[in-house]
Amino acid sequence: MTVHDATAPDAALGLEGIPHTGEALTADGHLTEPQAEDFKHARTVPQDLLWYKSAVFYEVLCRAFNDSDGNGTGDLRGLADKLDYIQWLGVDCLWLPPFYASPLRDGGYDISDFRAVLPEFGTVDDFVYLLDQAHQRGIRVITDLVLNHTSDAHPWFQESRQHPDGPYGDYYVWSDSDEAYSDARIIFVDTETSNWTYDPVRGQFYWHRFFSHQPDLNYENPEVAEAMLDVLRFWLDIGIDGFRLDAVPYLFEEEGTNCENLPRTHEFLKQCRKVVDDEYPGRVLLAEANQWPADVVEYFGDPDKGGDECHMAFHFPLMPRSFMAVRRESRFPISEILAQTPSIPDGAQWGIFLRNHDELTLEMVTDEERDYMYAEYAKDPRMKANIGIRRRLAPLLDNDSNQMELFTAMLLSLPGSPVLYYGDEIGMGDNIWLGDRDAVRTPMQWSLDRNAGFSRCDPARLYLPAIADPVYGYQAVNVEAQMNNTSSLLHWTRRMLQVRKEHPAFGLGDFTELGSSNPSVLAYLRRHLSPGAPEDLVICVNNLSRFPQPVELNLSDHAGWVPVELTGGVRFPPIGELPYLLTLPGHGFYWFQLTPEEGEGP
Amino acid sequence: MSTRPLHAVESLAGDLRAWLPAQRWFAAKGTDLTDVFVERAVMLADGDPALVHALIDADGERYQLLIGVRDDPPEHLHHCVIGRLGESYAYDATQDGELMAGLLALLDAGADHGGIHWTKEPDVELVTGLRARPIGVEQSNTSIVFGYHYILKLFRRPGPRPNRDVELHRALHRVGSAQIADPIAVVEDDELVFGFAQRYLADAAEGWATATASVRDLLAEGDLHAGEVGGDFAGESSRLGMAVAQVHADLAATMGTEVVSPDRLTEAVEVMHGRLDAVTAEVPELAEFEPMLRAAFDAVRHLRESQPIQQIHGDLHLGQVLRTATGWVLIDFEGEPAALATDRAKTRSPLRDVAGMLRSFDYAAFALLGADDDHQRTTRATEWSDRNRASFCEGYASVAGADPRDQAVLLRAFELDKAVYEVAYEHRNRPDWVRVPLTALRRT
Repeated sequence: MTVHDATAPDAALGLEGIPHTGEALTADGHLTEPQAEDFKHARTVPQDLLWYKSAVFYEVLCRAFNDSDGNGTGDLRGLADKLDYIQWLGVDCLWLPPFYASPLRDGGYDISDFRAVLPEFGTVDDFVYLLDQAHQRGIRVITDLVLNHTSDAHPWFQESRQHPDGPYGDYYVWSDSDEAYSDARIIFVDTETSNWTYDPVRGQFYWHRFFSHQPDLNYENPEVAEAMLDVLRFWLDIGIDGFRLDAVPYLFEEEGTNCENLPRTHEFLKQCRKVVDDEYPGRVLLAEANQWPADVVEYFGDPDKGGDECHMAFHFPLMPRSFMAVRRESRFPISEILAQTPSIPDGAQWGIFLRNHDELTLEMVTDEERDYMYAEYAKDPRMKANIGIRRRLAPLLDNDSNQMELFTAMLLSLPGSPVLYYGDEIGMGDNIWLGDRDAVRTPMQWSLDRNAGFSRCDPARLYLPAIADPVYGYQAVNVEAQMNNTSSLLHWTRRMLQVRKEHPAFGLGDFTELGSSNPSVLAYLRRHLSPGAPEDLVICVNNLSRFPQPVELNLSDHAGWVPVELTGGVRFPPIGELPYLLTLPGHGFYWFQLTPEEGEGP
Repeated sequence: MSTRPLHAVESLAGDLRAWLPAQRWFAAKGTDLTDVFVERAVMLADGDPALVHALIDADGERYQLLIGVRDDPPEHLHHCVIGRLGESYAYDATQDGELMAGLLALLDAGADHGGIHWTKEPDVELVTGLRARPIGVEQSNTSIVFGYHYILKLFRRPGPRPNRDVELHRALHRVGSAQIADPIAVVEDDELVFGFAQRYLADAAEGWATATASVRDLLAEGDLHAGEVGGDFAGESSRLGMAVAQVHADLAATMGTEVVSPDRLTEAVEVMHGRLDAVTAEVPELAEFEPMLRAAFDAVRHLRESQPIQQIHGDLHLGQVLRTATGWVLIDFEGEPAALATDRAKTRSPLRDVAGMLRSFDYAAFALLGADDDHQRTTRATEWSDRNRASFCEGYASVAGADPRDQAVLLRAFELDKAVYEVAYEHRNRPDWVRVPLTALRRT
């Protein structure tokens, strides 16, 4: 039975003719939902339980990468066509922000059907094709999943508001008043005034931690928890390699608390992890919890079990601190946050990044520092959004290639799995005159052809205009040109990913900061011991100052060892009893492997 | 080593007469040394290499030496050979990592050799077997670092117990101060203190280096002001002010504080005038500032408020603070180097420390400027100094509950007195730098 009247639960989806949630209702009022068996499954990659600890991730917006059908919007087939490029670059895993059916009032994080693809991106079958092609190249794919809430267009919500006594009546957090949970802060301070919104259809208020069109799911209801676990299984059955779980701290509410990081939220994540471990070993869960590392470690779960919640979590404060450290020419903003970062379970890994599709988040800096960051990195008020800065890496760094290389070298060598943002490998710019966070979501610049080679459509039809300014425009900055120039940022980035891959210390090694009397130099040792293999010892030295700097490192524990520079293989003088003296050019860096004695190269 | 240590060291007296004056820590530089005799020598380790602890009297000044003896010293020790001892060589053992590593074992064992006590602090569990290395050259001490864990400061001119640095660290440690490097062990006999070991802050950078990195950043900018450049230091200055205020509060809590009547300040004023008399006689350039200075000192006589006094750092400047990954730490509580031990031990106004730090910000701002720098750079340096001095005071006030700038007359007098001291110090030691305090006086 296909329902077409305006009150049908799937009326707002716009998915007629495509398998979707709520195509039909069962006799007891449940919505029928697409099942994984309805689709082909992608081939699998060789199993490796800890792949994510050494992987390089690449965040790519489906909409922004490549348009296969000429409608002005990137799509899953278009992305699949560019997998050779991603493989060439050396990426291990793609991270796709949500591509689910959505009214797109929050960049797709307002999901209206967890089991259907946004039609402009393609279909579930297209996703299976992308996944299969990626796996053929050894590339894994993870995507976002929003556990906390749905779009108000989701058939669950439509059923819930229309039939309070039906099977979905208790799927959301309803209340007769807007007074409960008053200690919870409002996240989107620019647009929302309350976490409660009145629904005239049901005649009650519903709870939402984000936008008012994103009602929070009611995890008090065990059916909701089970339904969401089934959403995980749907995509895992198809073959996806994991999820970035969006907004995890907010799943449960409790009076008298700030409704964040509650124990029952962790209990539910343990349930999710158990599903993965029991049914889909080798797949990962990555927590998006924009909190201090000391709080985020809770999302890795019990360290005695090697972690029993999420495998990964983003380390948020490291990113603004890195920018601050370079501007201040002082290592302490970074040293401080790393010193405050607790150790994590054996099976866990941080995800670290310089930029992503959101603004440069400033929630993790103090007020004083935030003012400073605004002043430094967002000279035009339009560059600010919520509590952050919307710029890409290159314009944030005044297009200074030395700084771009320094930042990337730190990203690839600090503890954690690096997440690159599409386009930053060629130094793409941004367009701060676009609304919301779109400044950093413009079309990937492939060539100097029409629409940057992104789409064959009429330029006016593009979902966002390609960057066209003289410095960052696609005529100047594009993949094709940089592919043909071996000294380009693109080739440099690829080379660094190769070097990183050769040394397990970067992904698996422990981290020790090597202090020195020079506050502008950040130096650290990465060290990995594995049975049966020689110890992998890598020393990274970063000059955060624009001026040349000397540094004396205490390496006497390795007296007699020889540092070998990793990008060129040049052997440096052996380490002696005295402090090891290095000089670095402005914003320069070194990666060395320590080899036990003089002799032939590594 | 076959001979007895005392005889061995005595046989080195001639060599020491030549060697001592060449050492950075030798006090009476530029004078000829006539009498060197050995007060005491204790064998700390026998064999090859051997280690001897010696107390030397050089023209009435007492020095502590650690003398290594090897038949065949490795090349990296050749530069510190003092002389021959028969077939062997005697050398400055502080440069010998192998011998210095043995000192940690002495501390751990609570050794007692010839009346020298190697004593851990009560709550300390030592990590042993660490590699030792000497670090940097200091004015009056030689320091040894063990692994990434400990630093042992050897006083080249050991003073009588109690040692102020040790006592203040112990007091601050008792109240759990986070602004110090924890005391670990003391080397002393019944009369003298030879060494003081503390936790080594491997991640630390000196305040002077961090501050001048900021100044360098500002001076490289064409048109940005001190509050606008990336290298702005005001946040650090403020945190440093908070750290200093916390140390003052902790010292007051653990060692006491008293409030003295304003007439006690007249003593201090007399001392300031006395210093000015002496320095003006030595440095004629100071004369043009004399009326201003005397007026500023005398203004203190008119103060009517009582003043709190307590134990303070006593020689606070950017070289005595370390930035670590967890915040600012104060080091070297020995007090003003030029003062007599009895004066160093006195309780004083905490504003003295504030004044010392404010002067140091000024130093940092102007240290990178040449003698005849242009107006632009001078303006920038002044901006930096003003901004960071203000931030320091704000940070201090946020912890202390009172802004030091509210005591403008006293603070100004202390600062100017400090500047007079600096003029004398620079005149004697670094004549190129005398312009820094003189420029500051010119600006007041």
